[in-house]
Amino acid sequence: MLFILEDTINGILMGSIYGLAALGLTLIFGVLKVINFAHGSLLMVGMYVAYWAVILTGMHPYLVLVIVVPIMFVFGYLLQDILIKPIFKAEKDVREPITVIIVTTGVWYILDNLSLLVFGPQYRNIQGNPLQGKMLEFGDMMISVPKLWGFCAAIITAALVYLFLQKTRMGRAVRATSLDREAASLQGINQYKIYNVTFGIGTAVAGVAGTALVPFFNIFPSVGVLFDIKCFIIVVLGGLGSIGGALLGGMIVGVIESVGPQFMTATWTEAIVYGLFLVFLFLKPSGLFGVKYDW
Amino acid sequence: MNPSLYRKLPLILAALIALGLPLVVTSATYLHILILLFLYAYLTTSWNLVGGFAGVLPLGHATFVGIGAYTSTILSLQYGISPWIGMLVGAVLSSIVGVIIGLPTFKMRGAYFALATIAFAEGIRVMFENIDYLGPFQINGPRGLQIPPLKTGLAHFMFADKEPYYYIILAMLAGVLALTWVISRSKLGYYLVAGGEEPEAAQSLGVNVARAKLMAMAMSSFLTAFAGTFWAQFTLYIHPKSVMSLDISFEIAFIALIGGRGSIAGPVLGAMLLRPVSDFSRIYFGSTLPGLHLIIFGVVLILVMLFQPRGLQEPLTRAYRRVMNGRFGGKEAAA
Repeated sequence: MLFILEDTINGILMGSIYGLAALGLTLIFGVLKVINFAHGSLLMVGMYVAYWAVILTGMHPYLVLVIVVPIMFVFGYLLQDILIKPIFKAEKDVREPITVIIVTTGVWYILDNLSLLVFGPQYRNIQGNPLQGKMLEFGDMMISVPKLWGFCAAIITAALVYLFLQKTRMGRAVRATSLDREAASLQGINQYKIYNVTFGIGTAVAGVAGTALVPFFNIFPSVGVLFDIKCFIIVVLGGLGSIGGALLGGMIVGVIESVGPQFMTATWTEAIVYGLFLVFLFLKPSGLFGVKYDW
Repeated sequence: MNPSLYRKLPLILAALIALGLPLVVTSATYLHILILLFLYAYLTTSWNLVGGFAGVLPLGHATFVGIGAYTSTILSLQYGISPWIGMLVGAVLSSIVGVIIGLPTFKMRGAYFALATIAFAEGIRVMFENIDYLGPFQINGPRGLQIPPLKTGLAHFMFADKEPYYYIILAMLAGVLALTWVISRSKLGYYLVAGGEEPEAAQSLGVNVARAKLMAMAMSSFLTAFAGTFWAQFTLYIHPKSVMSLDISFEIAFIALIGGRGSIAGPVLGAMLLRPVSDFSRIYFGSTLPGLHLIIFGVVLILVMLFQPRGLQEPLTRAYRRVMNGRFGGKEAAA
């Protein structure tokens, strides 16, 4: 019984990091109404930025956030501004521009393979970082310290994003655009600037998730693919566009992945997650917390 | 020149070139590349029935490739049934699975539909990787199935040389193109296009959009399974990663989108452009610049979406018409 509790706790911790990774995706979807297929690749970029920041400066793996977050924000802002905005303008009257999905798929292929060209296929991790392999012991239970840090990072980031959306002027503009882009434009909100900012924030959040993963996860060019589909599943479970839903959805997936292997071959849990995802798509496509819109 | 002739001329030329190519191309490597080119043109044309005409974005067609490959291989390995019969059985099975997937997913909108097809395909792949026996059928999990090259000949769908494979896939491609041409001019074709562009308007005119989409899905998955059997007989070794991976589904969609989805020439054009890029960059830069062809795919895809959202077939067709109308004769564009 104890190891189930232990697995559950570790599953929740890992799941919250999944949720953190999915947070950016759900934010971008909530506002742009676009599934960003390049999200896993943005996470991968975040991991490499964090990795090199730690290696080059020798700072604590979480202190590098001061470098990672601005870089990722600018990266996401420019990506949206240069590549995705023109398509939005071309398909102005389409509620859910499928072309944008295709462009983000192109971005995914380019980013993953560029990093393969630049950094090579080898797995990297930060040797001797202060969080590596650390465990907290509660009696017979072992709780991973880097995952605990990731859990805290996820909660804090989600709270910050929530506060930004609720309390700031820009946050209100973002929410207005997500509800009705025409009405928001009529109120003098520049919707394309809001899209840029949202994409920047979503990318920065992916950077935070990448930083949280770096102390205990291998970094390699296609690492994003491991998280890509998982993130889609999580945001649909939680409800597209919902911040709390992303965290909860992440934890559900995390717990299934970590408790499941007690009862079956580990690889089967993946099939269970896909099954759960499809059940949700059919029965409750708005997810646990999603608002029922026509998307 | 008489107007119907200049429309047929490139087709006749292309057919002659395609039929004669193996006489010129004797290198096994180049023939292999050509076979893959036609295979992907075939796959993409089959995909196009749903992804192009019906206006949705299915990203899980590798499932049907896998079903076709596994069905014919299991039937020939375990029961000694000719792959040609297995090919038909696989196609029927695949068509049933296609309808089962289509029934709930066609109700979903754009991105949800794409995600659901991915989840179905990946779920089925994970299942195949985790079990050794599917009921009485041995599938060997991730190790897959090997087809021992014992008996060659047309009846066994197995040949020592590559030329027979070349002509088989060429015939399959010609068949699926002809079928697409017929469908695009049939009631079903118009229903699909109407339902894809303006579902509400089409429905209000009495078009059963859902049924038209299901028909397209059934046909598309049926045809895609044929390619699976071909792939299995061509490589003689299948495993879930080789015939069911997401990469195949995405490459099919890429080819269609770059060539121009919803048109007949688009998928063939896309395969003609992308397959050589992929094969040659793997041959020449595979060790020094890994993944180069995927970067090129991504860049071309983005450029096409930015500047020619209907795919490259459109400007080329227009250019060809202009050249022919201007009677500059003799200069043929891509078919």
